[in-house]
Amino acid sequence: MNLTPLLEAHWINAILPELVLCIGGMFLILFDAFAPKARSLTGPIAVVIFILCAWSQRFVAVGTFFGGTYEVGGITRVFDITFVLAGILCTLLSADYLEREGITGGEFYALLMWGTVGMMMMAKGLDLLIIILGLELLSICIFVLLGFQRRLPVSNEASLKYFLMGAFATGFILYGTALFYGATESTNINVMARWFANPDVTITPLLTVAFVLLMAGFGFKLALAPFHPWAPDVYQGAPTPVAGWLSVAPKAATLIALIRIFHAMGPVLPQTKWMTIVAWLAVLSMIIGNSVAIAQRDLKRMLAYSGIAQVGYMTIAMLTINEDAVASIAIYTIVYALMNLGAFGVISMLAKNQNDPQTLDDIAGLGWRRPFHALALAVCMFSLSGLPPTGGFVSKFYIFRTAVQSGHTGIALIGIITSIASVYYYLRVVYYLYMKESAEGQTRIDGGIFATGALAISIIGIFLIGIWPTPLFHAASYAAHLLLAR
Amino acid sequence: MTNLLSIVLWLPLLAALPLALFPRRADAAIKGWGLFFSLVTFLLSLKIVLGFQEGIAGFQLIESVPWIPQWGIRYSLGVDGISLWLVMLTTLLTPVVLLASWNSIHKHPKEYIIAMLVMETAMIGAFLATDVMLFYSFFELTLIPMYLIIGVWGGANRVYAAIKFFIFTIAGSLLMLLGIIYLGALHARQSGGVPSFAVQDLYGTALSPTVSTLLFIAFTLAFAIKVPLFPLHTWLPDAHVEAPTGGSILLAGVMLKLGTYGFLRFVLPYFPKASLDYAPILIALAVIGIVYGALVAWVQPDMKKLVAYSSVSHLGFCVLGIFAMTQASIEGSILQMVNHGLSTGALFLLVGVIYERRHTRLLADYGGIAKTMPLYAVCFVIAMLSSVGLPGLNGFVGEFLILSGSFRTYPGWTTVAATGVILAAIYLLWLVQRVFFGPITNEENRHIPDIAWNELLALAPLFVFIVWIGVHPNTFLRKMTPSVEQLLAQMSNEKPQEKVMTASSSTKDSGLRTQDSRKAVSR
Repeated sequence: MNLTPLLEAHWINAILPELVLCIGGMFLILFDAFAPKARSLTGPIAVVIFILCAWSQRFVAVGTFFGGTYEVGGITRVFDITFVLAGILCTLLSADYLEREGITGGEFYALLMWGTVGMMMMAKGLDLLIIILGLELLSICIFVLLGFQRRLPVSNEASLKYFLMGAFATGFILYGTALFYGATESTNINVMARWFANPDVTITPLLTVAFVLLMAGFGFKLALAPFHPWAPDVYQGAPTPVAGWLSVAPKAATLIALIRIFHAMGPVLPQTKWMTIVAWLAVLSMIIGNSVAIAQRDLKRMLAYSGIAQVGYMTIAMLTINEDAVASIAIYTIVYALMNLGAFGVISMLAKNQNDPQTLDDIAGLGWRRPFHALALAVCMFSLSGLPPTGGFVSKFYIFRTAVQSGHTGIALIGIITSIASVYYYLRVVYYLYMKESAEGQTRIDGGIFATGALAISIIGIFLIGIWPTPLFHAASYAAHLLLAR
Repeated sequence: MTNLLSIVLWLPLLAALPLALFPRRADAAIKGWGLFFSLVTFLLSLKIVLGFQEGIAGFQLIESVPWIPQWGIRYSLGVDGISLWLVMLTTLLTPVVLLASWNSIHKHPKEYIIAMLVMETAMIGAFLATDVMLFYSFFELTLIPMYLIIGVWGGANRVYAAIKFFIFTIAGSLLMLLGIIYLGALHARQSGGVPSFAVQDLYGTALSPTVSTLLFIAFTLAFAIKVPLFPLHTWLPDAHVEAPTGGSILLAGVMLKLGTYGFLRFVLPYFPKASLDYAPILIALAVIGIVYGALVAWVQPDMKKLVAYSSVSHLGFCVLGIFAMTQASIEGSILQMVNHGLSTGALFLLVGVIYERRHTRLLADYGGIAKTMPLYAVCFVIAMLSSVGLPGLNGFVGEFLILSGSFRTYPGWTTVAATGVILAAIYLLWLVQRVFFGPITNEENRHIPDIAWNELLALAPLFVFIVWIGVHPNTFLRKMTPSVEQLLAQMSNEKPQEKVMTASSSTKDSGLRTQDSRKAVSR
């Protein structure tokens, strides 16, 4: 078989960012091996490689590549930026975290980069198999990253849990894909879209089973209730910067993949109950996430449950796929990356035995000991609870506005009511920061220049998007328009 | 200056930013910096009054640039007869608060001043915004500094009070947010896909009765919690008692008015039909609040709690005036918002003064201190009389206008409400009697230093306006008349079947203005 027709012109430009990250990751491993004395430079080099990757976006060719399995467009560019942003923030936080914990190894950053490549494949894949390939690449990197502190029992527990559960989830997705293939005779999303657009198509129960399997698998990756129970344990045990990254970037990649799939199914959705299933997942996530988070004293577990609720909000926007829905999810993921990684960043600076839980008591009175770090955490909390003038407000407003305009006012109402409950636990963090006297033997905050820089990026980004979101909106809605205009 | 409103709005926030870099030890410099810029803000806001043209009903000194064009949200500011005096009240009270707390804030003074200045920007912004989303942003922004002010600098039970305050208010305002989104979506659909959140643009949105009622409930709930209206008032006594003096003054003086202001700006003109339909319920709640607040205030052993419950009672008058929907009652309401800010602000300030010296607010601990603190006693009596509504002082004018205006449309409820005036006289006079007169029962009260220069200086402007409004209210009423007329006209236009009654009234007595005709929307 002649492969040349599969390689279109400019194919190398299409995967330029991925190539930069792949080669960069290999370089870091070699650098680590051949220059062990310059190990402290691996973090900064990793940041430079991520920036190179972002810069390479300028030369990216737009279009469909590799025989219609890989689509590069405006929306993938927006999501690429989200992945790179999450990568940079995580690298900056890890640079200080790993040094404090006495972990060395360039492979940490390499795994982060290859995981990012996996997410980029998920975002660009126009074929279910490419999406699954990206997902697997991402998952393997995550397994290793989670267990990176191999002397800590919690870290091993996190890795093993994610591995076992993740393997099941991938199995579900594969099985669902196989069933869809049986019906539509293709795994290509464009071909499936044509099949679904056929007015004579009948929705068999088998297809519904396939959809449910797909949602179970992707729901696991998103930590949507009821597929969420892994999240608190995994986040708690993972190295904190990795937990922050895991709570943000893979969710964004899964969401954009789901957007493509839902869009392809668009014509048949009105005659199925599929979106009702998705709506229930969203409602359950918002209720369970927000109510269980109230009971958490461990900061990482609290953020895990808050993340479950936040994904619930994003899922509301997906109930009807239109330009606003895509743009609002794109913007929400960017803001979510800034605020969640900012919050995990402050937690990662708590200098204590990482095997012990990082609780609210550790940050008591921080506002008067370390004003900047406390301010960063407070800003992230206010942004997560959706108060103006933060990016969290603008993005949440966009989500609810999209839902109302698509006629999902009832679900938006549930979202609003549950987010009232969420204010309580976000606010409790601020209460510990500023209104609680610090106890004896207080936990030290150990933030180096890189981690502090990451917090500064978070704060500036949150306020910038909250106060002047217009440029981002322009880019996101134009990209969304292109995606759906096919 | 074409950007006058923007300058007044942002100056406090801009002044707060460099404060973060001040060294912690430079106590006097920090306080001086904050006071100086709040005074400059006040002086600049006087230019708003000077530039304000009487006889124009709509917004003046308008500034408008696109903010989020995709959603039709604009950064648009303006001032009209309804918001003018509330803006002035905010810019007046902030320097008063900073001056009054000059010596009383020992813990983290830098952060306290920053919080106060951020608070000022947020409150001015809420009154000046002529875009619903801009209003909402500022409305919510007020919560963050106030949460910190209560929670960090408050009394023993401050954390509970701060969280309760925050959760109560945000519960209401998030529901209103959904209402705003829905209203905006409807407007965009009706105007052919051109979204807008400008206050005036949304006036014309056609609503079905059910939608109108639901949106009315969403908006009303948010503002009723803020006012607070009985039975949603339970956060208020906690917040007031625990807040530091400065926080109480701003909370009672300005923040509660965001609720009453919201009724006038949004609820009445957006949902005229629902407002008319549900006015009896709201008026009933307001009157219950008046009487209930007064009765509870009567039995309080704690001075600050007494003043807090008197706020529930006084704000009840404002809501009564608003939903009675006559020219006189609404003007009285707006004036009463300002009055309450002045007189309750002064009362909280004075309670703070004595608490600073004796560290107790219990009435039982005092008695006869007029002998040891004569100047303080004089100030307290003036503030008390203003709150009671003595003719010649501000409180009387507001309450009289509200009651005479409301009597036209709701005579029964107004009669009940009038007992609130009597009850106010009872509990406040009794307070003064127990604290200031009689023999000195407590030996510790023999040597309390009298009121200090900074406290006196802080009170002086309040007293000036208390007397000014009382003697010549027309200075203030004149500027609000056209806006209120327009508001009522808007409501009667919406409901052509409603009879617009023109009644002549002569309220010439006791120095009140005469106005030949007053429009009243009657049922």
